[in-house]
Amino acid sequence: MAQLTARFRTENRRYAVEDVPFSVPAASETTDLSRLINKLLAAADADHKYVEFDFLINGQFLRMPLVTHMETENISTEEVVEIEYVEKYMAPQPEECIFHDDWISSVQATEEWILTGCYDQTARIWSLEGKSIMTVAGHTEVVKDVAWVKQDSLSCLLLSASMDQTILLWEWNVEKNKVKALHCCRGHAGSVDSVAVDCTGTKFCSGSWDKMLKIWSAVPTDEEDEMEEAANRPRKKQKTEQLGLTRTPLATLSGHTEAVSSVLWSDAEEICSASWDHTIKLWDAETGDLKSTLTGNKVFNSVSYSPLCRRLASGSTDRHIRLWDPRSKDGSLVLLSLTSHTGWVTSVKWSPTHEHQLISGSLDNIVKLWDTRSCKAPLYDLAAHEDKVLCVDWTEAGVRI
Amino acid sequence: SLLQAEPPQLSQPPLPAEGLQPSQHLRDPPGLPHPIVPLSRPVPPPGAAWQWGSAAHSWGLLRCWVGKWGDRRVHQFEKMSPALPSHLVPPLQDIRNTVGNIPMEWYQDFPHIGYNLDGKKIYKPIRNKDELDMFLEKMENPDYWRTVQDKMTGADIKLTDEQVDLVHRLQRGQFGDVHFDPYEPAVDFFTHEVMIHPVTNRPADKRSFIPSLIEKEKVSKLVHAIKMGWIKPRKPKDDTPTYYDLWAHEDPNSILGRHKMHVPAPKMKLPGHEESYNPPPEYLLSEEEKLAWEQQEPAERKLNFVPQQFRCLRAVPAYSRFIHERFERCLDLYLCPRQRKMRVNVDPEDLIPKLPKPRDLQPFPTTQALVYRGHTSLVRCLSISPSGQWLVSGSDDCTVRFWEVCTARCMKTLPVGGVVKSVAWNPNPTICLVAICVEQSVLLVNPCLGDKLLYGATDQVLESYVPPEEERVQPVQWVTATPEEHSKGIRLVVQHSKAVKQVTWHGKGDYFASVVADNSNMQVLIHQTSKRWSQNPFRKSKGLVQCVLFHPIRPYFFVATQRYVRVYNLLKQELTKKLMSNCKWVSSMAIHPGGDNIICGSYDSKLAWFDLDLSTRPYQLLRHHKKALRSVAFHKHYPLFASGSDDGTVIVCHGMVYNDLLQNPLLVPVKVLKGHAITLDLGVLDVLFHPTQPWVFSSGADGTIRLYT
Repeated sequence: MAQLTARFRTENRRYAVEDVPFSVPAASETTDLSRLINKLLAAADADHKYVEFDFLINGQFLRMPLVTHMETENISTEEVVEIEYVEKYMAPQPEECIFHDDWISSVQATEEWILTGCYDQTARIWSLEGKSIMTVAGHTEVVKDVAWVKQDSLSCLLLSASMDQTILLWEWNVEKNKVKALHCCRGHAGSVDSVAVDCTGTKFCSGSWDKMLKIWSAVPTDEEDEMEEAANRPRKKQKTEQLGLTRTPLATLSGHTEAVSSVLWSDAEEICSASWDHTIKLWDAETGDLKSTLTGNKVFNSVSYSPLCRRLASGSTDRHIRLWDPRSKDGSLVLLSLTSHTGWVTSVKWSPTHEHQLISGSLDNIVKLWDTRSCKAPLYDLAAHEDKVLCVDWTEAGVRI
Repeated sequence: SLLQAEPPQLSQPPLPAEGLQPSQHLRDPPGLPHPIVPLSRPVPPPGAAWQWGSAAHSWGLLRCWVGKWGDRRVHQFEKMSPALPSHLVPPLQDIRNTVGNIPMEWYQDFPHIGYNLDGKKIYKPIRNKDELDMFLEKMENPDYWRTVQDKMTGADIKLTDEQVDLVHRLQRGQFGDVHFDPYEPAVDFFTHEVMIHPVTNRPADKRSFIPSLIEKEKVSKLVHAIKMGWIKPRKPKDDTPTYYDLWAHEDPNSILGRHKMHVPAPKMKLPGHEESYNPPPEYLLSEEEKLAWEQQEPAERKLNFVPQQFRCLRAVPAYSRFIHERFERCLDLYLCPRQRKMRVNVDPEDLIPKLPKPRDLQPFPTTQALVYRGHTSLVRCLSISPSGQWLVSGSDDCTVRFWEVCTARCMKTLPVGGVVKSVAWNPNPTICLVAICVEQSVLLVNPCLGDKLLYGATDQVLESYVPPEEERVQPVQWVTATPEEHSKGIRLVVQHSKAVKQVTWHGKGDYFASVVADNSNMQVLIHQTSKRWSQNPFRKSKGLVQCVLFHPIRPYFFVATQRYVRVYNLLKQELTKKLMSNCKWVSSMAIHPGGDNIICGSYDSKLAWFDLDLSTRPYQLLRHHKKALRSVAFHKHYPLFASGSDDGTVIVCHGMVYNDLLQNPLLVPVKVLKGHAITLDLGVLDVLFHPTQPWVFSSGADGTIRLYT
């Protein structure tokens, strides 16, 4: 079969073409189709610039010749094929490389700054251009996770969780470029591996090696919470005084049987936690009840939730990234499994802007950009790192060691 | 005339055709005084066996010769032999030589030739005949041919006619006596025919004509026995022949063996067109083809004849190869295989024991996930914290490193100033303490990792030690660390007298045992941390101790020597069991968390699984590794065990132990994990399971630690 009849459709008004069936060669690939669309657009609009397109048939990206794709997907070649096209997402390039002198355990980016937690017991703030602005030192152990709480033009609140079993709430004065520890959140009995701030910025949740999740208030106050055994530990108290006021958790969620590796707020009322006991648990933040449990068969390293497509993505100690639907009650349904990494997937993150895209970092030194519409292979491999990738975040592929 | 002269021996008649020439013989020295010398070997006359009488007669002469050879009593002898003709005896003087049977050459240079009976010398006759004289004598003397020389006296003797005749007769193999007839008809004393007259004329005995009393008695006995029925008359012979029906038990419908095994004779090939007397022209060979056919080996030829064309069938000559072909056909039939090969039809799958498939036995480690790099020399030992967050490794580069398990980050490096032989993390989750073997001491190190409260509490427990009032004699020295060491984390140093090679904790975390490389009874020591007290549990050395282990639940203590594993009850202080490992040299040992099963790795690349309830011999001996095993390990929760070997691989096996005592453990090898490079002929030195996850760590001689998940 040499020719196929196809109809082209797009969401983007800018690149719309006539809704007429075209006869295209069956063996044509994305570049051929892209050339065809560009020709059509150039005929309609004289000052059209060449744009590379990507093509979707029934929600699946076209990655091979048209006819083989339709054979593998069992689409009849007799009828008119509806092909959707979108502007091709160009390969991201590493723009900036920020060098730490030690391993970076975590990264979180905003519009202006990047916050990183480092194995040299500090957290650092960087500008988007890669300039080091501030070093936040105060922990006595490795900083495992960092998070922004609130960002103003004057002062920012940020969190750093460490292996020394505390979370420190810092206030960073942007103008004076000074940082001050407001609160020292103590209560965990193991290293705190993960923190997450809820969308209102008033509460945050932490997950620790001691199998507990704790919810804390993120609002800075002046009064110190009562510490039960303060009298027994004069030496500890000294440290506490240096680092700000002690704060105790609002609630403790226990239920995991192994270390909690990742927490996040899926919405204002719901906490999602991934653990080494092969489960992802969803909690009600108000009551502290367990809502549902998703059980896998490998240790989960990382979990991410996209409000756009309402799915959870998890990275685990095998090579796969799995997509879950948190609303399903039976809890064991894997929607999709993305396989291309060769090492543990340490970190996954959904795109905040795009419904289908997510990024993953793995111990095989590669960051991969995925589109859920092509589950066989990632869109791009970002192989800029020379050692293990521990954490990824969007806005910039700002992950490095 | 000399030249014309013929040899005298040949010219003289009568000489036997093949016989010895008498003149020559008589001149030779046979050492006999008698003229008839050549009969040195008397031939027994034919028929001597049955004609001894007449043989004695003819032997008379011969025996006297033998007697002459045997001894020298000649007189007697001569008297004994009347058959000797009187003319043979020298008539006038007896010049018999008395020298005996010696070579007469001895007298060659003397004028005499011996001594006579009176002891006088016998002088040789004067002989000065030269060749010419001898020739003339031969020519002229008509009796020359019958003249012989007596060797003993040197005198010439002329044989008489009778003597010559006798010589001739004996040469012909005849008897010496002319009148003796060897072929006389034999006369029997008795005849085989029955004669009318008896041989003897003796009257018959009385007993031959009166009835015998003994016989009468015997007969009456027999009659009595017959009457009484003791002797029964013989049964008449049943002369109807008996037959056996060989095929009685055979099923008529069954196919007999010989029919089943019937191999038809190979069929002859049917003749084709080329064998026709008038084949189509394409079957006839051209000149080149014929040449090629002739040059081929007979075995290689496609046809064993050349197709020929004849005008008509009448013109076809007789087939010259007929006999040859019949012979080959016979060979075909004779060499045709008559035995059908019986193949054992066993599916090889059936021979393999039914084991579950490895993928049904998930989870187990399958791939290498992390590599912990940092050591510069071979990593001898591994241990993991009870929570599974930290890993400790000891290496030959004289350091101990602490690692974060999930990221392969080296958190701490502790230089200890010696090769680290063994490390052991305290299994009690409320104590944060690591025991490290460095040369002659065991260091107790607080790694200061994990919960602050925990390691603070550990320090407090160690500091709260109060020394007892009286000093007790201990086999080792407990030394508190110096402040400098204390800052590095070292809390206590247990100094031994010899190098320590292994340390292992009891499950409660207070006691630990150390193995000293020594040959005395001080090899194994048990220490109590809280009281800083050590004791030597054994009075006698039972061999070179390889490793020791505490039972996880019960108060048992396992000591592995080279060949045996001994199980001691610590409460009763007695030997409970002695396990025979069937290995040459045990290298390592691990115990199942249930406590009833032990695995032993050995340097002869075997892994022995012992079921303590079952037997003192291995339940199974696994030979999966190609080289010596260095280390074995059990998982705490999952039914897994692993072994690391010098061939650079870690083999993970599923080892399910059932609570049901009737069911034997199920051992299935599930995965071979590779990754370690073989350095200095050493591969994997230690294996260790994660306490909660189905992950296995292995440390290798290449200086890396690898995590397989």
